[in-house]
Amino acid sequence: MKSFAYVSARDVPTAVSAIAGSPNAKFLGGGTNLVDLMRGNIEQPDTIVDITRLPLTGVDLLPDGGVRIGALVRNSHLAAHPLIRSRYPVLSQAILLGASAQLRNMATVGGNLLQRTRCLYFYDTAAACNKRAPGSGCDAIGGFNRNHAILGVSDNCLATHPSDMCVALAMLDATVEVESTRGVRRIPMNEFHVLPGDTPHVETSLAADELVTAVELPSVAVAANSRYRKVRDRASYAFALVSVAAALEVTGTTVTQVRLALGGVSAKPWRATKAEEVLLGAPATEESFRQAAAAELAAATARPGNEFKIGLAERTIVAVLRELVTKGDAA
Amino acid sequence: MTTTVATQGGIGTNAQRPDGALKARGEFAYSSDLWHEDMVWGVTLRSPHPYARITSIDITEALRVPGVQAVLTHEDVPGTNIYGLEHPDQPVLAEDVVRYQGEPVALVAADHPETARRAMKRIEVAYEVLPPVVNTEDAAHGRAEPLHPNGNVVRHVKVRHGPQDVRADVVVTGEYEVGMQDQAFLGPESGLAVPADDGSVDLYIATQWLHADQRQIAVALGLPPEKVRLTLSGVGGAFGGREDLSMQVHACMLALRTGKPVKMVYNREESFYGHVHRHPARMYYEHGATRNGKIVYVKARIYLDGGAYASSTGAVVANAATLGVGPYDVPSVTVDCWGVYTNNPPCGAMRGFGAVQAAFAYESQMDRLADAVGLDPVEVRIRNAMSEGAVMPTGQVVDSPAPVVELLTLVRDKPLPAKGNDLTDMPGGVSNTTHGEGVVRGVGYGVSIKNVGFSDSFDDYSTVRVRLSVIGGQAVASVHTAAVEVGQGLVTVLQQITRTELGVDVVTIEPMDTSIGDAGSTSASRQTYVTGGALRAACAAVRAALFERIGHTDLPLDHDKIVEVLGTDVIDEVVEWRHRPTYRLDPETGQGNAHVQYAFAAHRAVVDVDVELGLVKVVELVCAQDVGKAINPEAVLGQIQGGTAQGLGLAVMEEIQLADGKIRNPSFTDYLIPTVLDMPPMVIDVLERPDPHAPYGLRGVGEPPTISSTPAIVAAIRAATGMALTRVPVRPEHITETS
Amino acid sequence: MRVNITVNGEARQVDDVWPGESLLYVLRERLGLPGSKNACEQGECGSCTVYMDGTPVCACLVAAGQAEGREVRTVEGLASGDTLDRVQQAFVDAGAVQCGFCTPGLVVAAHDLLTRTPQPSDPEIREALAGNLCRCTGYEKILDAVRMAARS
Repeated sequence: MKSFAYVSARDVPTAVSAIAGSPNAKFLGGGTNLVDLMRGNIEQPDTIVDITRLPLTGVDLLPDGGVRIGALVRNSHLAAHPLIRSRYPVLSQAILLGASAQLRNMATVGGNLLQRTRCLYFYDTAAACNKRAPGSGCDAIGGFNRNHAILGVSDNCLATHPSDMCVALAMLDATVEVESTRGVRRIPMNEFHVLPGDTPHVETSLAADELVTAVELPSVAVAANSRYRKVRDRASYAFALVSVAAALEVTGTTVTQVRLALGGVSAKPWRATKAEEVLLGAPATEESFRQAAAAELAAATARPGNEFKIGLAERTIVAVLRELVTKGDAA
Repeated sequence: MTTTVATQGGIGTNAQRPDGALKARGEFAYSSDLWHEDMVWGVTLRSPHPYARITSIDITEALRVPGVQAVLTHEDVPGTNIYGLEHPDQPVLAEDVVRYQGEPVALVAADHPETARRAMKRIEVAYEVLPPVVNTEDAAHGRAEPLHPNGNVVRHVKVRHGPQDVRADVVVTGEYEVGMQDQAFLGPESGLAVPADDGSVDLYIATQWLHADQRQIAVALGLPPEKVRLTLSGVGGAFGGREDLSMQVHACMLALRTGKPVKMVYNREESFYGHVHRHPARMYYEHGATRNGKIVYVKARIYLDGGAYASSTGAVVANAATLGVGPYDVPSVTVDCWGVYTNNPPCGAMRGFGAVQAAFAYESQMDRLADAVGLDPVEVRIRNAMSEGAVMPTGQVVDSPAPVVELLTLVRDKPLPAKGNDLTDMPGGVSNTTHGEGVVRGVGYGVSIKNVGFSDSFDDYSTVRVRLSVIGGQAVASVHTAAVEVGQGLVTVLQQITRTELGVDVVTIEPMDTSIGDAGSTSASRQTYVTGGALRAACAAVRAALFERIGHTDLPLDHDKIVEVLGTDVIDEVVEWRHRPTYRLDPETGQGNAHVQYAFAAHRAVVDVDVELGLVKVVELVCAQDVGKAINPEAVLGQIQGGTAQGLGLAVMEEIQLADGKIRNPSFTDYLIPTVLDMPPMVIDVLERPDPHAPYGLRGVGEPPTISSTPAIVAAIRAATGMALTRVPVRPEHITETS
Repeated sequence: MRVNITVNGEARQVDDVWPGESLLYVLRERLGLPGSKNACEQGECGSCTVYMDGTPVCACLVAAGQAEGREVRTVEGLASGDTLDRVQQAFVDAGAVQCGFCTPGLVVAAHDLLTRTPQPSDPEIREALAGNLCRCTGYEKILDAVRMAARS
């Protein structure tokens, strides 16, 4: 691990000025990802700005019925919060299916947004990786890429975004609030993470000196009938092969509202807008669900190692929609 | 003559571990917890390439880092730069060539571990990278570049039993693969080497075999064995992965060079490079049988990938070959098993040792045979099951109970579990993947045979010293041995045997070290048998000395009598004890009484499979195992539960992923082992059919359950899905792929 | 740098800490408390689980500076003198300890569970302990131990 300076910030202005003066500085939240990456020499900041004492720990109801979540709210606290459990069950579920209790107790909302990929080649400093060392190539292409992306991939990178929470946030149309010495700005969740293209090392639209201060959830009535499903190699404590966050409203036999996002398949939490288009106004049948899933995955590009993910994603979408129809009926 | 007395905590009781409370308090000293005044830290520079020529090593910059105490390369190896458990072929530090990714190349000692790691990165090694040999069958058949002077075949065992080239009415064939499994013990490789003024060294170490380490270290250091003293420190699990050297020689070299105590602790990634793994296997099987399911012949070719160095590949090959048809009567056997060198990570001992791989193949074949002849899978096994008096493919007669039919019947006749109604009972568990839709139940069976102890003419013995004295008016026995406690509970068993044999309640277990004779390895399910046997003999010698003082030989001992007779005397007896000899396999026919004892276990697995998503929930595992005599019944259950869990891991999740010789998942993020949510409740029957040749009639316990759980679980998944599933681990995509 | 931590009820001041050190390293190598274990040092095994401000965390992923001013309770801080905590005693009595390397982390995780949920169901126990790997026991006797501790 490289040597670095350790600064502890007590308020947001101090934190953002600390980082503004140090181009190679990093904020430290829960540390559950960054500490590991630093130990592996994958992240090598020269300054760490410890923000764990900033007062960004509120979960508050907004006047419009939405909820504002401070960036330093711990994952376990957020998942257990009554506002989230009642209004956005999909978000609670997604968080609880990530990592382990010990990690959720440390990990923060802001850190979860910014966690790095679990690509094996990203972690192996001897391997070529355009994300870790821009221009070095991508050993995952042609390598062991079973866990890798099938949507929005480029010839430069196959990495996935590992978060569960972010899939739910994408489905809910959350907004990320960020702050720097230049002021505050708001980034729609679906624009927060970016696809690899020719610059896989650029993972978000966050500027280097910006601090995530909050996430806001709009009021989403259909979220009351929502579900997060995660398919993985072990019953707990493993990253998603494929995950689906979905919310559905069926009136009569017609889909009147639908939201769908996928995890484990792309460098960003993947909002399945094509599937949503197919479904909206369609009959709530297995056949529609299959067509919608197929429409979303039509653009998938797979390698032999991860080809199975296409079918798996389609079947997972169908399964979760089927459940939401049944659940909606019951409710 | 029975002169033992029933005392509390003797054999057959559930005596508690003497180290349990210390471990629960966090006060038990594992090898990674050791600390010494003036201690410095050692680290290892490893090859990033599976196969490369080293053209130069430059340590100049590393030596300049402040805080660095020593930087060593192969030029600094004081003795012979070659070692090996069975066959010396592995350099302590690479010289002109590296043969696997992770092979040690240089060492650094510094005052802080991070300083050592930074200095390590400044060592310049120039490599000429070579194309790695990774195909096992090419290596076996001379189609690959030889990686060692005598070619790539470490050992080829042929077993020819009964008439060859026979025909049968029903023939089933199959090709099977087993991925590379890791022992994944939780306590990382670690140790502390302390130099002495006379040029000798003390090593405090977590290992499976103190004397084998000592012998190899002494040769590498160019010291007589008595100048290399080993003491066991706390061992955080082993499962075969500590039978070979890891950092032992390295720490001693750094200590002798710096004159300071040196501590080395691997991190998890380095641990994946730092110990041998279970041999991956490719196996071709053909079973011929009558129409009513009686096996006529078995032909098999088994390829085991030994990786870059031999380790215990030779013995693993012998096991896979001689146990390759399973616990069945087979009149005609033709087995060829190869263990080869490649540029993959070295493979050696892991719980089940060659029997695991073969069992996946032969048990899969038994299910195919059942299908082909229209029999129930248990019935076809029962029709072919061996029993006492059976003749093994080696010609060896099984001369103790072999209750295979009884074990199978026990697991078959247990009531089947009800369908779960809690989400956590479903495939995917808490991941919300299903609430029951698309879920199909399957039931499968597996049965295993495993040799206990070292085979194939190995001189397998143990040494134990027992001292009996009176301390503060109380008779106290102390037991000294080099047999290693790795977590399995040997320390408990030693206390129990001593209590039973001497009628003494207070039994202290002395530190395990090399100041006493060899006890052999804690492996091959052998310590309770061999060191237990040695201890019983040592206790008998102590007893004889007591009786001599008392003047008669046939009364039960009691505590007060001992105290009265002994007074201030100490009775001190050392015994070296060996089990009956085994014999070398004939190199052309594989015939010979190669094994000392066989052990058997059977499993029934019940699984629910989400056939839509490919997720498996193992709902229940039933196991029946014959242990001859349960010295500690609860500890036996612990072995069965733990061994079964490792078999579950191999069945559905565990594999070291290799690409061109490189390990792609050297972490617990990517190498998954079962969690508490993956392991189902178990129902266990323990049989006690004494082996008349073994101490107390006992049988080794540790390995059989690891062997039979894997095929049982895969058979259950096949039953649920109809998929062929010829490779473990089974992954979601194998279940959902269109066949 | 200097780090002030209250460990097992005692205020400790640790000097010359390198910022890259973890709380786990500080506990094990600087404070003489090696009970929290170093099995993976990546947050993937739970063997280093300690309470920090009353919440179980993986000490291996806590940077030393993050622990400044916090209250840490380790496995060494659970027993009262010679008397084991009920969870520790249950692990011993149930035979849940084999090699024991996972035990300290599991004891803390189970202790936390029983503090929050005195009478947990089996699924609750499994979920609460899913972040702690054990390679020896197959978990059955660990479940027994937690059930036993809940009854005691």
